[in-house]
Amino acid sequence: MAKVIAEMLVESIKLELPDVKTVRLQWPEGYDPGEFKTGQFITVYWPHKPKYKRAYSLSSSGLDRGAYEVTVKRDGKMGTSIVDWVEAGDKLFVIPPTGRFLPVFDPPGKHLICVAGGSGVTPFRGFVREATRRNLDTRITVLYSVRTTQDIIFFDEFTALEKENPRFKFHVTCTRLAPDHPWAGRRGRVTPEWVKSFIDDPAQTVFYACGTNEMVESVEHLVLHDLHLTKEQMKTEKWG
Amino acid sequence: MSSQVPSDLLYAKSHEWARLENGVATIGITDHAQHELTDIVFVELPAKGRHVKSGEACAVVESVKTASDIYSPVPGEVIETNPAVIQDPSLVNSAPYASGWFFKVRLASSEPPAELLTPQAYATQIGA
Repeated sequence: MAKVIAEMLVESIKLELPDVKTVRLQWPEGYDPGEFKTGQFITVYWPHKPKYKRAYSLSSSGLDRGAYEVTVKRDGKMGTSIVDWVEAGDKLFVIPPTGRFLPVFDPPGKHLICVAGGSGVTPFRGFVREATRRNLDTRITVLYSVRTTQDIIFFDEFTALEKENPRFKFHVTCTRLAPDHPWAGRRGRVTPEWVKSFIDDPAQTVFYACGTNEMVESVEHLVLHDLHLTKEQMKTEKWG
Repeated sequence: MSSQVPSDLLYAKSHEWARLENGVATIGITDHAQHELTDIVFVELPAKGRHVKSGEACAVVESVKTASDIYSPVPGEVIETNPAVIQDPSLVNSAPYASGWFFKVRLASSEPPAELLTPQAYATQIGA
């Protein structure tokens, strides 16, 4: 079935952080995106600027019907216009979901280790939502690198999902906290040693990395060169 | 996919190229950079007459997935910008070393900065 570009109403906006918003885009009546999957991205543009397009990972899951959710950082013209100006009732054109950054839920029993930097965490919200709602036995560990504790997107939601889903774990590392900050969690960048400490059965583990090129490439190097795992066990989404 | 690294250019670690001719450097971003950025949808260039330092952020490029600063690989005065990439940013994807150039700088000194990479060194950096 042909993919149909649709004009969608901004149904609601949620302020996640001062510079990050989740936008809920309501499907128009009769809209059928066909099959789409958790982890894919949509591409959006303003009706008056059709040449200027930006792609955003869905932060909702493939089980969520009736609307798409994307979580947007104030970055570039689109990110700035969305975070600063967009309101419920505005309209955006949406190119349907595509992409291969997909959670491996089948076969069962996998451990998904998801390394995220900054707003790279957004697709993993969809992963955890789907696994939790379907009560899957898939284990998901999100390793999340942020500058400070003020930059953690979805902290409350991930904390609640951890309580609901015993197979989901959420770990944060802060890279730029002041030495006297009371944060008791991990500090510093994502290191191969830190990632390795969460692996128990390499053959059953699938790695995901979403964030800056540098972070994604370091995880890729760990998985493919140091651990000698297969390309099928390493899925990446780079954003610059 | 292997990226093109023309042998007649110099490169910055941050993925800009410079073509040096008669004391003027033409600047753009590399094939590797455009490939990593994916489809480019917006380019903002420095004003003519602006004096830039080596490594100074002076342009912006946005693709469908990210926004990035572009750094001048050489110091000097911006003497010309490329209106074609403003009109059609996809030129940066289709012809990064030709019609997709960004701006020209009249060099502040007769010698290019020593930190610029040779084609071989840049190819090594990107694993080409």
